[in-house]
Amino acid sequence: MNKIGITTTIPAEIVFASGGAPVDLNNIFVTDIKRSEYVEQAEVEGFPRTICGWIKGMYSACLDHKIPKVIAVTGGDCSNTHVLMEIYRMRGVETVPFNYPYGRNRQSMQSELALLRDSLGASEEASERWRARLNRIRRKLDMVDLLTWRDGKVTGFENHLLLVSSSDFDGDPDGFEAKIDRFLEEARQRPEIDAPVRLGMIGIPPIMEGLHEFMEMTGAHCLYNEVARQFTMPFGGETLAEQYLAYTYPYQIGPRIDDIQTEIERRQIDGIVHYVQSFCHRQMEDLIFRERLDIPILTIEGDAPRAIDARTKIRLESFIRMLAQRKGAAV
Amino acid sequence: MNRALTLGVDAGSRQVKLAIGAGREIAFTAMIDTVQFYLACRDGGSDSHNGGSDSRDGGSDSRNGGSDSRNHGPKSGGDLDIYRLAQLAGAPRWSHVVSTGYGRNNVAVAGGRAIPEIMAHAAGAVSQTGLSHFTLVDLGGQDTKVISVRDGMVDDFVMNDKCAAGSGRYLENIAATLGASLDTLGQCWENPVKLSNTCAIFGESEVVGLVSDGASAQSILAGANASVVARLAPMIRRYRPKIIVASGGVAKNMAVRKLLEIETGVEVITPAEPQLNGAIGCVLG
Repeated sequence: MNKIGITTTIPAEIVFASGGAPVDLNNIFVTDIKRSEYVEQAEVEGFPRTICGWIKGMYSACLDHKIPKVIAVTGGDCSNTHVLMEIYRMRGVETVPFNYPYGRNRQSMQSELALLRDSLGASEEASERWRARLNRIRRKLDMVDLLTWRDGKVTGFENHLLLVSSSDFDGDPDGFEAKIDRFLEEARQRPEIDAPVRLGMIGIPPIMEGLHEFMEMTGAHCLYNEVARQFTMPFGGETLAEQYLAYTYPYQIGPRIDDIQTEIERRQIDGIVHYVQSFCHRQMEDLIFRERLDIPILTIEGDAPRAIDARTKIRLESFIRMLAQRKGAAV
Repeated sequence: MNRALTLGVDAGSRQVKLAIGAGREIAFTAMIDTVQFYLACRDGGSDSHNGGSDSRDGGSDSRNGGSDSRNHGPKSGGDLDIYRLAQLAGAPRWSHVVSTGYGRNNVAVAGGRAIPEIMAHAAGAVSQTGLSHFTLVDLGGQDTKVISVRDGMVDDFVMNDKCAAGSGRYLENIAATLGASLDTLGQCWENPVKLSNTCAIFGESEVVGLVSDGASAQSILAGANASVVARLAPMIRRYRPKIIVASGGVAKNMAVRKLLEIETGVEVITPAEPQLNGAIGCVLG
């Protein structure tokens, strides 16, 4: 199958329906042993230091992995992607724009989906068939999530890794489904995670390493990864348009906050860690979350793909200890 | 004091603060330059009593050991043995060690328990002031913490950015650039000039520019104090404080305290030992 790079979650169903295989450039960047070099390489080529590490990493990873075509999200994610597209084209990479309509309007969404189908040469029928196919996998990811927060059998990092992979289904839905099946079978046999503090994480997927593991080492189970869960399209939908309109991340923040609030209550979360990326416009969302969510929030910032630093550890440790103290628990 | 004594260690970026006591009774305190502290703890040729293995800083000198003394050991296995150093300082014997501070994650104190700085500072301030509802502002050498304390417990906290902008190190550098002592710095709060850059490094060149424009040293020092407070005020305001407790080395700066009161309209209390607050919190922790 032809590899088609994606800059964030897009309707993967349409890519599969066109006979292509989506490759989330974020994933191939951050899991590559050369991830730090990728960022440096982009800076050497002239990307400013004050531009998000994800953009720089995606740029170099795409060229290094020789991905010939990229679907770039021009609305609802990150405006840096606009210029990234220009640079990709300058380097001979074909680009296809996809725009989440800010107004969350059904008609606009339908025309965006039609544009994407036309660009990739996919039919509506085939795309909807792929919706049903991928939906089966998405609902298995719901089970991973349930085993995380209800049963305490899945770690925060495992939850993050599997859920975040639903942006591209590893480019191989059958293989990905088999991996989840094996995981579910194994995870069900595990003892329950014993952690006094229940944490949730909101914001874009973190670029730094060891964040979830450190939380768990410090006595907290991260049982909610907001954006990774949204990648699984937890609300489903009868059509692709409905499914991608129910997705909370790209539009106005109100429904996203409602979703977070619902999950905080359902999962009995003690505190929220808000991850923000250096130089990302979404950092400003922090003030909205702090005003709208009635729960302790710790904001942590990541820049490059490296292990979490001492300052982040100090903050996390103090936050977890504070939450434990409130509950009268020892960590 | 008959009870078993605890040694509290607050390993800061500029000074390591030590306090020995039992509960709220503090029997001994000391402050040692951070670099000197680490060097002194690492010097010496004996093996560590806890027999370390994987030296994380690559500088393990436990291999040249030979002595079997429990109380005389260098840094080993990533743990810091401070028995020898504190004995040199004439400290009473202790039975427990609790540490906090920057060095804590890199260098654990041998045989000790590490607690987060936020917890240590809150406990120290509750103990030293006898208050249970307040906003604690810890002004350290390279970072600033604002901690909301309710019912004697940490309710929320916020820390400054990753750099040392607007911290103790910034004030030290500005004072040094002007050849002023920290005592002089602490007196300057009137007629502050506007300083735009609180970077601990670039702030110096701004000062040089102001001197060449004819600004007085006092007004520049007042400007430096005011810029620290301006940076701090938004962090404090989110907790709508009724009382502010200021700790850390910068809390000794009268001008900063005064400007903080003017800026927030709230009384600023300084505990008896602002700089030792974290170490005192460790004794309780």
